[in-house]
Amino acid sequence: MSAINNLIVKVGRSVGGVVGTLYQAGRDSVDTVIRNVIPFMAFISFIIGLILTTGVGDWIAKGLKGSASTLPGLLLISVVCAIPLISPLLGPGAVIAQIVGTLLGVEIGKGNIPAQYSLPALFAINPQVGCDFIPVGLALGEAEPETVEVGVPAVLFSRLVTGPLSVVIAYFASFGLYTSK
Amino acid sequence: MFLSADVTVDKQDGFLGVLATAAEDFIAVFNKGGEVLLSLMGGILPTLIVLLTAVNALVRLIGPEKIENLGKAAARPGLQWYPVRYIVLPFVAVFVLTNPMAYTMGRFLPERFKPAFYDSAVSFVHPILGIFPHANPGELFVYVGIATGIQQLGYGLGDLAVRYMLVGLVVIFIRGIVTEAITARMMKKGA
Repeated sequence: MSAINNLIVKVGRSVGGVVGTLYQAGRDSVDTVIRNVIPFMAFISFIIGLILTTGVGDWIAKGLKGSASTLPGLLLISVVCAIPLISPLLGPGAVIAQIVGTLLGVEIGKGNIPAQYSLPALFAINPQVGCDFIPVGLALGEAEPETVEVGVPAVLFSRLVTGPLSVVIAYFASFGLYTSK
Repeated sequence: MFLSADVTVDKQDGFLGVLATAAEDFIAVFNKGGEVLLSLMGGILPTLIVLLTAVNALVRLIGPEKIENLGKAAARPGLQWYPVRYIVLPFVAVFVLTNPMAYTMGRFLPERFKPAFYDSAVSFVHPILGIFPHANPGELFVYVGIATGIQQLGYGLGDLAVRYMLVGLVVIFIRGIVTEAITARMMKKGA
């Protein structure tokens, strides 16, 4: 009798555990969506609305069309974003990358920028990723203060090389992407 | 009602006309914004919530502490551990621990690898978004912004998402190696 009892308790516990975990996972994901995703969507929607209805889009298009639809132009964007003094300023929350990404997306959608440039563009707008966060990120990895002192400039200088390089790699990887429907 | 069909009203001019046009233009911006918001929320949000839930549950059931052994393996010196340190470990860390907790995996590495690992891991929080948006939902629009344009053209996103992630893996590998080399030189200079 007690064996059956134990089995029932065991099954009940593990099922309860799994259901509880799934429920908690759902709660977490809805929480993330409400706190982080929807506010950004609202903000981005406003910007897109502004671009599409006013003339702002036209001069952005002119500015971006020249630079974002050629390899040298994309390289220029990536070099500017990777300059060690500028990259930490562009980093926080990836807000700049998200806005520029959205602007480029609008222009790609209108056909002003060729679709295959979407891949190199994703790298061109983002060589500054995490540059604002280096000391915190290293502290999360329990790095010594001396490592942080060396690590911050090391990462920033590395980006000057790897930022443009990533655009070149992405450019060659984009061959055959959305070229024929 | 039926009269309005054949009666056309001229656009009002004068002061009131200007005001009316301005008001229409003003509200048009927000109508368009609202349309975009609705399409975004109807398009990617439901999928995102379900996916987030599934992955969160998976990570909870497996337990994040399981990946610690991988961190210890990645700390080993030698050429064959480079791909583990700068491709496998960042990928697993970002997938399981997500941004920003992924960087805590650096604690298993010796000091000289820490900046390079951080560089590698942080550079992967966006390329992973195309396929696994749970890893960094707060910064989704780095990818989704551009992806929306592709969608408007009527293309599928799979190709872009896969290529973005694969190129991302190559880039974080190179970043890890370059930053490790720069860190080594700077540490030598400082000592």
